[in-house]
Amino acid sequence: MTTVDANLSRYHALFETVRSRRRALETLKGADQFVAWGALKLRQRRSRLVVLLEWATQVDSMAPEVRSLPETALDREIEELRGAFVRGRVNHGQVLRAMAVVREVASRATGEEAYVVQLAGALALVHGRIAEMVTGEGKTLTGSLAAPLLAWRHRHLHVFTTNDYLAERDEESRSRIYKRCGLTSGAIVQEQSPVERAGIYARSIVHGTPKQITADYLRDQIRMGRIDSAWAGWQRLGSEGPLVPGLQACLVDEADAVLIDEGVTPLIIARSRHEDELAPAYERAREIAGELEQDRHYLVDTLRKKVKLTAAGRAHLGAMVTDENWATARRAEELVRQALIAEHCYIRGRQYEIVDGRVVIVDEYTGRFLPDRSWEHGLHQSVEAKEELEVTADRETLARLSFQKFFRSYRFLCGMTGTAADSAGEMERVYGRPVTVIPTNKPVIRTQEPTRYFRGAEAKWSAIVERIRQEHDTGRPLLIGTRSVEASQLLSERLEVLGLKHSVLNAHHHEEEANLIARAGEPGAITVATNMAGRGTDIKLTPDSRRLGGLMVILTELHGARRVDRQFIGRAGRQGDPGGAAIFASLDDELVTRFVPRLGAWVAQRANYDELTGSRVATKVFALAQARSEGRDRRGRTQVMRQDDWVDRYMPG
Amino acid sequence: MSERPTFSPHWHRVAATKPRLRPHVQMTRQRYRGRRWHVAHDPASNKFYRLSPVSHEIVGLLDGVRTVEDAWKIVVEKHGDEAPTQPEVIQLVSNLYNSNLLSIEASPETEQLLRRQKDRLVKKVQGQALGIMYFRMKLFNPDGIISAVEPVLRPLIGRVGLAIWAAFILFTLSRLAGHTEALAGGFKDAIAPSNWGWLIAVYVLAKALHELGHGVICKRFGGQVPEFGTLLLVLVPSPYVDASACWGFASRWQRIAVGAGGMIFELFFAAIMAHVWLTTSPGMLMHQVAYNAMLTAGLSTVLFNANPLMRFDGYYILSDMLEIPNMMQRSFQHLQYLIQRYVYRLDDVTPPTTDRSEQVTLTIYGIGAMIYRVVLFVTISLYVMGKMFAIGLILAVWTAAAWFIMPVGKLVKWLSSGPKIAEHRGRVIATTLGLVALGAVLIGVIPMPDTRRGVGVVESELRSGVFIGETGFVRESLAYPGDAVEAGQAIVVLESPQLASQLAMARAQLAEFESIEREATATSPSAVGVARERVAAAKSAVAFLEKRAERLVVRAPHAGTFIGRDPHELIGQLASIGQVLGEVVDTDNVRIAAAMTQLEAAWLFDVGEKPRVAMRPVSRPGVVVKGDEIRAIDAGQAYLPHASLGFAGGGTIRTKQDDSSGLQAETAQFIVYVEPIANEDWHGVPGERVHLRFRLSAKPLAVQWVDRLHKLIQGRVQL
Repeated sequence: MTTVDANLSRYHALFETVRSRRRALETLKGADQFVAWGALKLRQRRSRLVVLLEWATQVDSMAPEVRSLPETALDREIEELRGAFVRGRVNHGQVLRAMAVVREVASRATGEEAYVVQLAGALALVHGRIAEMVTGEGKTLTGSLAAPLLAWRHRHLHVFTTNDYLAERDEESRSRIYKRCGLTSGAIVQEQSPVERAGIYARSIVHGTPKQITADYLRDQIRMGRIDSAWAGWQRLGSEGPLVPGLQACLVDEADAVLIDEGVTPLIIARSRHEDELAPAYERAREIAGELEQDRHYLVDTLRKKVKLTAAGRAHLGAMVTDENWATARRAEELVRQALIAEHCYIRGRQYEIVDGRVVIVDEYTGRFLPDRSWEHGLHQSVEAKEELEVTADRETLARLSFQKFFRSYRFLCGMTGTAADSAGEMERVYGRPVTVIPTNKPVIRTQEPTRYFRGAEAKWSAIVERIRQEHDTGRPLLIGTRSVEASQLLSERLEVLGLKHSVLNAHHHEEEANLIARAGEPGAITVATNMAGRGTDIKLTPDSRRLGGLMVILTELHGARRVDRQFIGRAGRQGDPGGAAIFASLDDELVTRFVPRLGAWVAQRANYDELTGSRVATKVFALAQARSEGRDRRGRTQVMRQDDWVDRYMPG
Repeated sequence: MSERPTFSPHWHRVAATKPRLRPHVQMTRQRYRGRRWHVAHDPASNKFYRLSPVSHEIVGLLDGVRTVEDAWKIVVEKHGDEAPTQPEVIQLVSNLYNSNLLSIEASPETEQLLRRQKDRLVKKVQGQALGIMYFRMKLFNPDGIISAVEPVLRPLIGRVGLAIWAAFILFTLSRLAGHTEALAGGFKDAIAPSNWGWLIAVYVLAKALHELGHGVICKRFGGQVPEFGTLLLVLVPSPYVDASACWGFASRWQRIAVGAGGMIFELFFAAIMAHVWLTTSPGMLMHQVAYNAMLTAGLSTVLFNANPLMRFDGYYILSDMLEIPNMMQRSFQHLQYLIQRYVYRLDDVTPPTTDRSEQVTLTIYGIGAMIYRVVLFVTISLYVMGKMFAIGLILAVWTAAAWFIMPVGKLVKWLSSGPKIAEHRGRVIATTLGLVALGAVLIGVIPMPDTRRGVGVVESELRSGVFIGETGFVRESLAYPGDAVEAGQAIVVLESPQLASQLAMARAQLAEFESIEREATATSPSAVGVARERVAAAKSAVAFLEKRAERLVVRAPHAGTFIGRDPHELIGQLASIGQVLGEVVDTDNVRIAAAMTQLEAAWLFDVGEKPRVAMRPVSRPGVVVKGDEIRAIDAGQAYLPHASLGFAGGGTIRTKQDDSSGLQAETAQFIVYVEPIANEDWHGVPGERVHLRFRLSAKPLAVQWVDRLHKLIQGRVQL
């Protein structure tokens, strides 16, 4: 590349970054919201499912002709279409034609021939929709049909998925298609250096996780500061352009996980405070907290992760905090409260793990470690004090960006997922993207057993282990889902005692992930996994295991959202394979104790048997707990959006 | 009390910025309830912002060199728990920034600036649209006029001026005190439609003076008055000036003076006009005009401007007197807090103030203002609907939307998604529904007394004139007007010397004839016949004269009340036969006649309705008389039972303007008769006005309201 070209592309990147920043939308309120909703409904009529399927059939009918094209002719055709797309002058016919061509390219490159429903899905993506396709329907292929068209049209396309492993895997398997379409591609993963990243971001199609790309974008924003024109940026940054060349188009795989679940916590970039000498304060606060009695001195609200001091507690605290120079009365109370929250609401193996003497947060939805993250405003330090680790310096926020705002800054957004219908309303409201449910190609023949409810954890685990043994005896491969690292380890111990050979996939073992998944479909395999295996994981069955009834998924706990359960179960019975799923839940589960503690305890007390399966009351309790949990998360996301709006509107800068 | 978290997740947005107050912002120190406050005033945009001393300290530290973070740390170091927390500092900085009081080194993003502008415009338009009951229109900048007038009046603005003013007002009042009757009497002429033109002219003049008063005093103490305009108050235009600059004055007496300035000037004007009125004689144009001016300036000031329950002068004066700035808004906030705290039992709420006495004041004021608003809304809506139905209806619906539907919508939103009640949503919603249900039961189920009102006039079925029966000099008067008299009771005694001598002569003649007759009986029987005839003739003459003499005592023809001129005035005068002395009215058999329009009287025809009537005579306010036997006479009767019910006679019913009798109503009337039940304390005197209260059978309020509204609308639709 010549210097001029490099400068040009850097300037362009600056220009696009500034543009993306300005693009942030406002959340509509009141009547505006209604009008926007109506307009959306009206617009989406043009690309309803019926219409999409009709178009897909048309694309399909072009297949024989496209298939017969020799390689050179195909390349010429691609070049022509690409030109049209880049210039932004495409008509509907050309879109369909391009789709047929890319389908053929995919077929020649990977041997995968897209079905009509996959074409419909890809067309939905091209039209900026969220396509719901049943898990295991080959979303990856669908995405790779739409991606070239979008990359042509929008110059840069970001393809999001939930974890680095999937990002790398998808990029690798799709790169041949992209290449043939005249596109470059790459995947952004944790370990890369900024220089490497810059090279990858310059490519047309970039796979990655929202955490990585958002963080890069946010770092760019910090560097750019308050500049509001590309020229000013050019002056200020000189040769160091932004990493992410603007937010232009994105295709979100697992859209509900990325767009909805991640929305609860905004991304924060922080640096350690230099002048922080509060470490002893956290330890002292922890000591004081240890002397307070629950219910007498303080009340714990596990649902909201809050602690409230009673009058007695406050008096006690006042008596103890006398000579500390670090604390005014309010600050002391705050620190002690935080210590109590760390004590009661944060449990090792659930919210965090200790790795190499450091507290590492475990992502609630993906079950993975978040090594770069820490809780804000001293909570992290309180947890460190609780675990008697070295208290690190409190971190100071440099920038903050919610995923909602980030994704809304894209000029073009589309996505696909196995479970979007639950959150269709939110997709429409927040992102203005309608959800289309694409029918399955092959019927799902997974056998879903009714959920089994138990009074206590012990009874549940016995039943689970019993079930594992039964199923294992038939030789069927088993995937057992646990909600936390802690639970996966407990189950592993039990299986160990019984001499059942198994492997464990949790955040501690993420290096072995690909390996474990590859073997999970073999006959006789028992894989105990946290949510890490819950999304996007494709467990390939051997012919033997298919004959034995396919993969059996056992879920040992209900999750906070029904979507997550459905995702996990979706690991079995993919693409028409046989499979089975069973769910076990008990009234001791965190879901119940956190969201409906009193009702749960009452039902447990009144129950006559250990097993409550089929009991209408028990079913209701769990349904209520899940509804509350979902509601809580939804409110959290709304809150984040509101704050965003407020900040954008009223804060200087 | 809610927690005050030290840290804010958004701190980084402000921490490193180096803002400073814009150079033209003026800071004044004010004291409220013994506490120091600082008011930042931007004269360019006329925006104000009140700062606590600690906030003021932070703002003072922000000099454009120091970062917000550093300023905060200094204050925390110094004040500990008293220092604002990060969220509070953010709030402070963003408020100041959004009021354009604070500038931040880098130019703000253009989008944000434009959006702020747009937001302000939208808010303004919304505010105007919702408040059609008070629509503002800016006209011009009055600074020129005010600057011209202010130097002239300057020496008078101060204690001396106030004392002179007060003395003048007192003097005027004392002079007026002797003319109360004339004052009251003029009212009828003043509000007659023919006088409206003058009224309006005088009103405009008085109000212009009023605004000039605000302006001049504001200017005197150094405030700018940048705006003069007109406020459409319930569609009635009234001028205003923007004297908000006075909020920046350090002395609260100066602020009060500006608030009261309008009234001071207007009352002064009224007082001058009072003297003009007193010195001119009735019939002169100036006399009438002066009366009008006195009426509008004096009355409107007292009724309107002094009323603290709406945001007029009285409100601002009171707010400064009590040292509670922003009283209206904060009292509503306080009510909100009380409801959240004590009705919904939320513990995470903060009251707008922690000062006990301030809380009490806010509570009382808030409730008062609320009630006043509702009452004002209902009366104005109904009044305007009565005059111009369509406009009234639009006004009512519109204002209802602004005052009631919006708050209800906000409540619903709060209930469904308010983050503060996330934890107790179920309970809060249940409480709300419970309250709504309670209200519904009170309004919709429990019967409440239903009363209707009217004005009637006493009529008597039996009344007789009292005439002088025989010419004579009035010697004695035995009754006063208004006295109850028995049948045949003497009212006036006359004496007639002529009659007396005639009677004496006749009696002497009779005696003579009788003696002649006795003689004849004894001596000459043939003469007896003649003598007897003569005696008989003489006897009849005596009897005739005696009867006439008896008629010198004027007696009541029947029991009742004597009304008429006071006969004591006639003592010693000659009264000739046939002269009317007065009337005796049968007060035991009076009835009350009231005129009502078809709509007002509609309930009379409701089946099964047996209203009870209570009456209060105008002449005896303390007395309540019961009545029964209500009868109504056909509609279409366009004549009132008495002129005093009509507009011309000082009543409330519009009469035809060309009707000199004042009896012809403009619209068809029902005449409703009520029989009073005898009462010791009061004997209805015909012609007397009586307030009637019909008490219908108790029914739920909702039924009553729907019924009234229905009838109101029905009447309009027929038109």
